[in-house]
Amino acid sequence: MTVPRIECRAIVKRLPSGSALLTILDTLDLAIEPGEFVAILGPSGSGKSTLLGLLAGLDRPTSGEIRIDGERIDTLDEDALALLRRRKVGFVFQSFQLLGNLTALENVLLPLELAGVASARDRARELLAAVGLGERGHHFPSQLSGGEQQRVALARAFAPRPAILFADEPTGNLDLATGARVLELLVELRSRENTTLVLVTHDREVARLADRRIHLRAGRIERIACGAAASA
Amino acid sequence: MNLRSALASIARESRGSRGRLLFFVACLALGVAAIVGVSALVEAVRAGMRAQARELLGADLSVSAYRPLPEDLALQHQLIDTEFERTEIRELATMASSSKNGRSQLVEVKAVGGRFPFYGALGLEPAKSLAELLTPETCVVAPELLAPGALALGDALSIGSASYVIAGIVRDEPGRLGLAFTAGPRVFLSLDGLARAELEHFGSRIRHRALFRYADETKLHGGDLQSWEWLLARVYLKDAEYLRFETYHDGQPTVRRAVNRVERYLGLVALLSLILGGIGVAMIVRAWIAERTQAVAVLRCLGFRPREVLVLYAGNVVLLAALASALGGLAGSFVPLVIERWLDELLPTGVELSWQPLAIVRGVWLGIGIALVFSLPPLAAIWRVAPARVLRQEAEPLAAPRLVTWGAVVLLAAGIFAAAWVQSDDLEHAAAFTGGLGVLALLLGAAAFGLTKLAARLPRERLSPYLVHGVAALARPGAGVLGAALALGFGVLVVLAMALTERELSTKLERALPADAPTTFFVDVQPDQWTDVERTLGAHGATAIEKVPVVTARLKSIDGVDVEDTRGRGQGGRGRWALTREQRITWLDALPSSNTLVAGALWSDPAANELSIEEGFAEDIGAKLGTRLVFDVQGVPIDFTVTSLRTVEWESFQINFFLVAEPGALEQAPHMVLGAARVDETAEDPLQDELAKVAPNVTFLRVRAILAKVRAVLDRLALAVRVLGLFTVIVGLVILAGVASSTALRRGREVALLKTLGVTRLGVTGLFATEFALLGLVAGLVGASGAFALAFGFLDIVLELGPELPWHWLPLAAAATAALAAASGLAASARALNTRPLESLRAS
Ligand SMILES: Nc1ncnc2c1ncn2[C@@H]1O[C@H](COP(=O)(O)OP(=O)(O)OP(=O)(O)O)[C@@H](O)[C@H]1O
Ligand SMILES: [Mg+2]
Repeated sequence: MTVPRIECRAIVKRLPSGSALLTILDTLDLAIEPGEFVAILGPSGSGKSTLLGLLAGLDRPTSGEIRIDGERIDTLDEDALALLRRRKVGFVFQSFQLLGNLTALENVLLPLELAGVASARDRARELLAAVGLGERGHHFPSQLSGGEQQRVALARAFAPRPAILFADEPTGNLDLATGARVLELLVELRSRENTTLVLVTHDREVARLADRRIHLRAGRIERIACGAAASA
Repeated sequence: MNLRSALASIARESRGSRGRLLFFVACLALGVAAIVGVSALVEAVRAGMRAQARELLGADLSVSAYRPLPEDLALQHQLIDTEFERTEIRELATMASSSKNGRSQLVEVKAVGGRFPFYGALGLEPAKSLAELLTPETCVVAPELLAPGALALGDALSIGSASYVIAGIVRDEPGRLGLAFTAGPRVFLSLDGLARAELEHFGSRIRHRALFRYADETKLHGGDLQSWEWLLARVYLKDAEYLRFETYHDGQPTVRRAVNRVERYLGLVALLSLILGGIGVAMIVRAWIAERTQAVAVLRCLGFRPREVLVLYAGNVVLLAALASALGGLAGSFVPLVIERWLDELLPTGVELSWQPLAIVRGVWLGIGIALVFSLPPLAAIWRVAPARVLRQEAEPLAAPRLVTWGAVVLLAAGIFAAAWVQSDDLEHAAAFTGGLGVLALLLGAAAFGLTKLAARLPRERLSPYLVHGVAALARPGAGVLGAALALGFGVLVVLAMALTERELSTKLERALPADAPTTFFVDVQPDQWTDVERTLGAHGATAIEKVPVVTARLKSIDGVDVEDTRGRGQGGRGRWALTREQRITWLDALPSSNTLVAGALWSDPAANELSIEEGFAEDIGAKLGTRLVFDVQGVPIDFTVTSLRTVEWESFQINFFLVAEPGALEQAPHMVLGAARVDETAEDPLQDELAKVAPNVTFLRVRAILAKVRAVLDRLALAVRVLGLFTVIVGLVILAGVASSTALRRGREVALLKTLGVTRLGVTGLFATEFALLGLVAGLVGASGAFALAFGFLDIVLELGPELPWHWLPLAAAATAALAAASGLAASARALNTRPLESLRAS
């Protein structure tokens, strides 16, 4: 049996809320295989973003174990986590999170330079072209529309060829048509690069494209649906 | 990441924040300009004082003794690498008489063989040089010797077995400041002229003196004049104990003390201006990082380690600091020009300020270093940014590792210490300065912390909505209020401390010489002549008339040990001389205002004849409280017990004595009266003539020229202190305004929210003004208290001035800080106030 790309056992996340402790995630178990596309669904406040943050090593669980490629990440310090992200992980967020004082091209370049990729500039141009923004590289985020910004974010996330991509409602801030175009791109890039994708979404249409759909409710896994389902 | 991409990302990071960038540059440039400018001013003051101090002595070095000077002195001078001049001088007190009126009186003869003085000028009439006026047959005399109808230019004066034609009058003489020991009016002779008098036969005590002027002090052995003096006195010249050395540094006590104080003050100012710049930088970096939190979180998500983010931002700081410091250095290098052009009163004539590349280089390095170390504590916030912020803006900040937080603080302290060391060139002062600042920062921090806690506890129900908002802002946890209050408070502390010391020091300098300081002294007045003298003085409009009885005596024994036996015991020249010279003792009921008791109590022992001794003099003769001294008062031994020690402000020009006896102890002894008075310059000549008739035996001494010189020096120092103080206070205020306004950055979103909630612009302005004013009030109160502590400590302990601080400034300073904070905070929020809410919300 192969080692799962991401594996978590009995993770619990509790946060203090006033004097009481609020349980946000309650004893979750999950394994995600290399190259798999997993969608996380659930009502607002069910803990989707929290789970994503834990899996990506942006935050630490209160208890339980999380592994990426068999390596415990919940015990790593901040520096080691940063290095792990640099090597293996890409992100796309609902609020695009581009660096405002960098141009589109520079935003895409940044993780490549960080990883010490040799032909960083060519790769960055190639990806910008792939998301249809080949001509907009010198523009600053404030000069781009929301959809364009999110496409730059996609290019940035895929640029260093991460093994895993985490996306938290990447279309949540976009209108339907634009959102659809961004998602199309995301799925296309993912299959081209064979990236493991963990996608948080409210959108059942989108979720249908996933290999598995994990439904959260009140911090627990309600059910898991398998197979790229046919249309509802 | 390689260097190139690091540099590239640093360059990118500075985009889109031009306003703050400009402010950063301005802030640091001002600080560096202040440092460079201050060193130019310091140099101006030092150059001025050096010139003036040299004029006071008339030479670089004086070596003297009551016997011929050793051959070695000349030999050693053959070995030095710099050119020098030497002038031979003989000094003695002797009787001079005039065949014209048959009067004879004690005069101080100074026989000069060579150029005199090397520095400054003699006020001579006719306006020729001394060498031109003096031949073996002529003399030049002080105006006190002349009187119309009696002695005049061209008349003859007899000294010893020779007679001299009076060829000139000397009104002003460098080096003639030792008023306390003046025996009589000055008479200049040439060395050959002195030989003609054959005074050796009259048993006079002759002081041999050699004056030196060196072309380049730094080429002397030891590298400077003081080391050279030490080497001569302790190493090169055998058995040099009988020699007395004076350098121009020793100068006149008033001037020397004033210069010391001012130099210390200048050192403090230079350091504090540096710290001010640093505070400005810290605040800007803090605001900058706060604004960039989201970007930091994104960078962390992309796999940047905190220390890599630090390099990114610190690199930015260094680049900016280099630019700002270079600009500041450039601006500061114009200060000498400004001084020469507009403040030429600061410089004595003939002194030119040089361009100081070294000071500029030092200023630039200090600027960069200070910017870097002051930015470290705010940059430590990078470690606290949680990467999870990209998912949830409100994500809990992480705890920064101890090593990082403390490391930043330690590096800051080390940086301040290093800068202080570079600036003051004194390890101990640097340590004291750093330690002092540390303690003050702790106190400030504790006070600010206490106040924010208090604000959190304050019941808010009964407050106006504006106050609620303000108090809430103060109490908001983690909003950086503590840091802002600390920085603002520290800024207030520095500025106010500088203003306070400036004010106190310059007034003390101006007041050091009272306006009614006497211009004339009357020596050897018989007690029964005084009423006549006083009447004559009154008739010539004299004011501030003083008189004291004077008894001359010689010290016989100390605690039963004869002074003849004490003499050999390793005491320096001054001690020995103090033991054996003829002493002048007075008696007084109470001490004059220029005296301060430092030990014992005045006239406290009914059983003994009590004596009060000046502290330094007591040290010279080895006397303490309780020491028994026996004086030979014209053949009669009188027993005294030392019951008090005092310090004397000699600069007051009041009549003062090393030795003061209890009233009653000496009244029976034969005594004279010493008088002093302030007389208009025009009245001096007629007064002298009249006194010559009323009391012909009285010696009339004029000190107006000396008084004017000392006053000029003190006024110049006071001016320097004023100028420097004001300069740095103004720079400080500018930086302070910046610090206050930096607390107002990042307001865009808040303003937008408030506006969408329906608060009018005026309303928002009111809310903000209250918030900033409250912060300013807290910081001002705490900072002002610190400033008073610092100023008091510095003035009292370092300068020993006994400060009288204007305590009512304290609440005023707090109120002013509140106003400043509100004004500059609103100014900084102006743009946010004027943008439409949608723009701000969209931009975030
Ligand atoms: N730092 C925190 N402090 C307090 N509560 C928190 C914190 N982080 C998350 N929560 C709470 O945990 C719950 C889950 O939050 P999470 O952001 O994971 O929800 P979500 O499923 O992503 O919702 P949405 O679809 O609205 O984004 C919410 O109720 C939220 O209020
Ligand atoms: Mg969410």
